Amino acid sequence: MGNVESINSPNSILVVGGGISGITAAVEAAEVGYEVILLEKSPYLGGRVARMNQYFPKLCAPYCGLEINFRRIKTNPRIKVFTLAEIENISGKEGDYDVTVKLTPRMVNDNCTACGKCVEVCPVERLNDLNYGMDKTKAIYAPNPLSFPTNYVIDTEVCTGAECSKCVSVCPYEAIDLSMTTESVHMKVGSVVMATGWKPYDATKLDNLGYGKYPNVITNVMMERMAATDGPTQGKIVRPSDGKEVKSIAFVQCAGSRDVNHLPYCSAVCCLGSLKQVTYIQEKNPDAKVFLFYIDIRATGYLEDFYRKVQGYENLSLIKGKVAKIKEDPQTKDLTVEAEDVAQGKKVSEPVEMVVLATGLVPSIADIKIAADITYDDYGFIASQPPGIYAAGCSKRPADVSNSVMDATGAALKAIQSVVAGGQNG
Amino acid sequence: MTLATPDKETMDILLELGGEKLKICYQCGTCTGVCPWNLVRDFNVRKIVHQAQLGLVDFEDEDNWTCATCGACVKRCPRGGETIDVMKAIRKVVSEMGAGKVPDSLRISIKNIASLGNPQGEAPEKRADWAQGRDVKTFTPQTEWLYFPCCISAYDAKVKRMALATADILGKLGMDFGILGEKEKCCGESVRKAGGEETFQSLANTNIQTFTESGVKKVLVSSPHCYHTFKNEYPELGAEFEVVHTTQLWAQLLEEKKLNFSREVKKKVVYHDPCYLGRHNDIYDEPRRVLEAIPGVELIEFEDSKQNAICCGGGGGRIWMDTPKGERLCDWRLEQAIELGADVLAVACPYCMLNFDDSVLTLGKEDTIEIKDVSELVLEAI
Repeated sequence: MGNVESINSPNSILVVGGGISGITAAVEAAEVGYEVILLEKSPYLGGRVARMNQYFPKLCAPYCGLEINFRRIKTNPRIKVFTLAEIENISGKEGDYDVTVKLTPRMVNDNCTACGKCVEVCPVERLNDLNYGMDKTKAIYAPNPLSFPTNYVIDTEVCTGAECSKCVSVCPYEAIDLSMTTESVHMKVGSVVMATGWKPYDATKLDNLGYGKYPNVITNVMMERMAATDGPTQGKIVRPSDGKEVKSIAFVQCAGSRDVNHLPYCSAVCCLGSLKQVTYIQEKNPDAKVFLFYIDIRATGYLEDFYRKVQGYENLSLIKGKVAKIKEDPQTKDLTVEAEDVAQGKKVSEPVEMVVLATGLVPSIADIKIAADITYDDYGFIASQPPGIYAAGCSKRPADVSNSVMDATGAALKAIQSVVAGGQNG
Repeated sequence: MTLATPDKETMDILLELGGEKLKICYQCGTCTGVCPWNLVRDFNVRKIVHQAQLGLVDFEDEDNWTCATCGACVKRCPRGGETIDVMKAIRKVVSEMGAGKVPDSLRISIKNIASLGNPQGEAPEKRADWAQGRDVKTFTPQTEWLYFPCCISAYDAKVKRMALATADILGKLGMDFGILGEKEKCCGESVRKAGGEETFQSLANTNIQTFTESGVKKVLVSSPHCYHTFKNEYPELGAEFEVVHTTQLWAQLLEEKKLNFSREVKKKVVYHDPCYLGRHNDIYDEPRRVLEAIPGVELIEFEDSKQNAICCGGGGGRIWMDTPKGERLCDWRLEQAIELGADVLAVACPYCMLNFDDSVLTLGKEDTIEIKDVSELVLEAI
């Protein structure tokens, strides 16, 4: 998307973040007639949702909803999408914001048909961040199997550049341009929706739970990729250490959340997330014994029905007790999960083949220091925003998809009011 | 099932002693899960905390005295709870308000400490006897360091090797140090954890007064328990002196090149973190730095080390109580060291040494493994 000219549109709304919240805010605002600029840091839209296997509680595939949204974006001329785009600075006030955006070069232009010839010849491999490093891609790769935009992308960190150029010579559509460079784009917009989303808590900080040390301890987001048919194991739930089908598995709730030593807050989605993942095991490894260790199961409102349903699964043992420690047998790589079974009042040591840590949500915005008068709470979530800037979804608190969508719709409405008021809201 | 009535008065006392921290527990069981006792016997920490929350403490329960205050649960508690304060509060209610029975061995030890200044019931005038035959002088206001051996390293026939090694190193390095001998009294750390708050206060005040009158500025200790209370608890009572543990001093002298090793100690050594040096005071590196610097020493690590170290079972007054065979954490830890193939289990605490010496004897492992203070190994290498 080279040669981007500056955008001077004080009546438009800038949406930062192309996950489910940002997409929702963008589509909602554009469909009632407002100009929207949608920025996404990664090479594709969909964010964390694009990496999920299923939604709870209906267990439908997230791509179903995402595809509808992508269509709404494609067919709406009022939405401009920038991927590989990061905010460098926001200044100004409601109705009159100056924004600087950094565009990282994709090295692949819109001629790309995703034919895949480039991947065949590319000699360099990289860890696949889409699958949390569980497999590899070439330096030129499809961002994800159902990616929007579909254009391939080159990881410039690992690509050896012009001296190789194998992909350039093999591409039949002249879609690869290794001369693309980083660009800075200036924009004038009327209001901003911050939908910067979340990232998983760094599980290596939970030193008593062995993640990063024991290969068969994985996290909940990794389990989503593992269960997905387009994931690193083609949907098979197998042990990372030996690829063996898992016969016993433990879910560790509150891996970091509700813990003053890590994340003092509840991450809101992990209980339902793990209950959902129990159904993956039930479907794919029906003989596997499943243990789910929890402090409290927080299945609120209508979500309690889903909890009740999973509770009835006969191979599932729900154990009230926070996991104190995970140990590994260095020979077999089998694991032992230690906790107090609070209901029984005694310590249990449960041997299992694999463990899934239900790691919590950390706000992505905590890493980005954006100017403008946004204030953050102790954990890095957006606490308060000046008129004209509105946080949506997980940038302000942990939330599931349906709550994020509702929240983003509200943020879109506020952003519209800011544009309409032309700076008179504050 | 019987219906129990919460006792408001008990609750209030415990709340006052255990502080607000008692109320924040959300009953996740992490404490029970990490408590080392559950490696050798059942001990439900969470249940005791819950009973305390409800004011339903059974003051006659023997488990009121089980906690070794190792701090493993405190380190992991997701609510930042202070389990040790709860245990201390329950014990205080029993021992000072007579709400239940204090175990005999503990009661006698505390009585000895209160009257003679040491738990063994030894004569105060014999406190300096460990140094006989050595050139160890009495501390004067001009002396740089006060060396304060714990009661156990002062009186115990075997553990005194810890004090001797320390004195020998200081002597060889020509350092200016002295002892206070019969004027020294038990530091009171474990007494306090065992619920003897009044005895602790009296010991601490006496020691502070003695140190102040003697002109003490810097105290060198062999025991992490003395270290802990001198460093963290005495200042609240007006103490103003620097406290250094032997492993810290050796590490510092190594760095300053004032301590140099000339002899090889060809041994596979595993270091056992004392709870009160490690978890309670975050001193993990200095002892390891010293051991690694000794020529010939191959330093190996327990699977559970540093902040996950398994307690020897000697803290919180447990050192004075009997633990039945089969339930001794020191036995469990010693077996772990032997499994690792260690020639030496290096300790840095007199309680650990006393406990492990005992385990070596009762398990008949004299030919398999040795228990040595870090100072003993240092002395061998000079």
